Amino acid sequence: MAALLSAFQILDIVVAYNLQAKGVYGQFASLVPAFIQEAMGGVLVGSFSGAIALGFAHPLVMLSLSCVAIYLASEPAGEVEDGLVDLVVARPVPRSLIVTRSALVFIVGSAAIVAAMFVTSRVTVRWLSPATASALPALRLAWVAANLLAIVWCLGAAALALASHVRERTRAAGTVAIVAVFLYLLQFGAAAWTPLRPFARVSPFHYYEPMRTLLGSMSPVKDIAGLLGATAVLLGVSAVLYSKRDL
Amino acid sequence: MADAIRTEALTKYFGQVVALETLNLSVGPGEVYGFLGPNGSGKTTTIRILLDLVRATSGRALVDGLDCRTASVEIRRRIGYLPAEMPLYREMTGAGYLDFLAALESRPVDFSYRRKLLSRFDVSDVDLRRRLDRLSHGMKRKFGIIQALMGRPSLLILDEPTSGLDPLMIEAFAETVHELKTEGRTTIFLSSHVLSEVERLCDRVGIIRRGQLVRETSIADLRRDTPRRLRVFFDGPAPRPPASLAGAVRRSDARHWDLEWSGPLGTALDAMRGLPVSDIEIEPFKLEDYVLKIYSGTEGARD
Repeated sequence: MAALLSAFQILDIVVAYNLQAKGVYGQFASLVPAFIQEAMGGVLVGSFSGAIALGFAHPLVMLSLSCVAIYLASEPAGEVEDGLVDLVVARPVPRSLIVTRSALVFIVGSAAIVAAMFVTSRVTVRWLSPATASALPALRLAWVAANLLAIVWCLGAAALALASHVRERTRAAGTVAIVAVFLYLLQFGAAAWTPLRPFARVSPFHYYEPMRTLLGSMSPVKDIAGLLGATAVLLGVSAVLYSKRDL
Repeated sequence: MADAIRTEALTKYFGQVVALETLNLSVGPGEVYGFLGPNGSGKTTTIRILLDLVRATSGRALVDGLDCRTASVEIRRRIGYLPAEMPLYREMTGAGYLDFLAALESRPVDFSYRRKLLSRFDVSDVDLRRRLDRLSHGMKRKFGIIQALMGRPSLLILDEPTSGLDPLMIEAFAETVHELKTEGRTTIFLSSHVLSEVERLCDRVGIIRRGQLVRETSIADLRRDTPRRLRVFFDGPAPRPPASLAGAVRRSDARHWDLEWSGPLGTALDAMRGLPVSDIEIEPFKLEDYVLKIYSGTEGARD
């Protein structure tokens, strides 16, 4: 997945570079409806910077990353389902260790993928357009990546909480994946239809504005802190549910 | 000295289903205890409560006097467990599997003992290097037995240990149990449907039916208390049974009697003195007959 999403960064930036070289950005941006541009982070598709942000905001990128974290986090339900937990927890292994391990796996796993995406994006921009790279400090792209990671962790933690309760991995991972898609569509729909906006607040994707972050017009610290807070709460819920459950 | 295992009014409901109901049992240190019961009677639930894999609805389970719920990690340090369904990391090799599980033990694994077990259960170096998903059911079972034993635990909990093993390996397992019994340091709690194995290996048995312990007794007591079946053949027509045997004769025909005799056999043989007996067949004690009666509910009174 790291290779795939890193390749996506290269492809995205190469295409953006060619559009810029041919001077057709304006025409390209006019083809994209305003609500889609807004849903994807404002002027996302209308500039080279927007294309860089798109590498971290494309629905396929966000949902693929979320699915990886959700799958990794649902391991406790998988172990119960196929009985492997019997061998591990029958040994002097505290139950909290099972939750901690799964949390570490999805947190470190998804962070490694996002880090690979970040490095690939940065190196590709430097290679194709050193001027753009200088204009956009690495720190801003790092904030975008961190914001994306916080969303992914939040969804992973939700999967871990459900996997700490149910006995089937597909039930835990499938449910959270479907909910993730729904929450993404909710945020997307809220951009097009104002009455949906209050409800979009429950979506983690609501707390992600990659374009504005990349251009330095906003700081994502509050959004990231909120998402990390939700992640921490869900991890706590996971630990409690797993400590009380029948395996 | 505390019982190796003790359950006090142990009860477990899965929703509306009663898995265990006020189960009281005790297993002494160094004892080999056979835990018997039909499918779904609550054997595995009891085992899983002892390991804190499942939480009791009420009552409690103790191992070496420690509560299985509150001191579960300490208890699991002392236990070697073989589940009935052998879960495997399919992509691991046999050696990797044993090393992985050894790393989870809190006490150091005695590798010379592990080698001895590998040799006894005829697990070669080639088998150790093969992926687990490519091994036969019997070979996987051998790895299961070895992983349970290799840490030299003070309590062994074995759920259907010989299921899928060939007769030679069943013998190797019996030899291992006898060895542990002789050493006297290990308590063995064994659940099995192979009653001949239980009869041969266990000191005592507990029989559970519908979540309740319906009988707990020693094999020696069972042998003594269970009526023995005798077939007595006569030279010529079978005579009328004497008064002392009449109550024990279940069937008689022209040439023989079928008896069910409780108590010392000598008394029955004495009563036949002077009769034209040509042969006597004594059916060996079979735990199976007794247990089947309890399973079917035709014998249920607890000692």
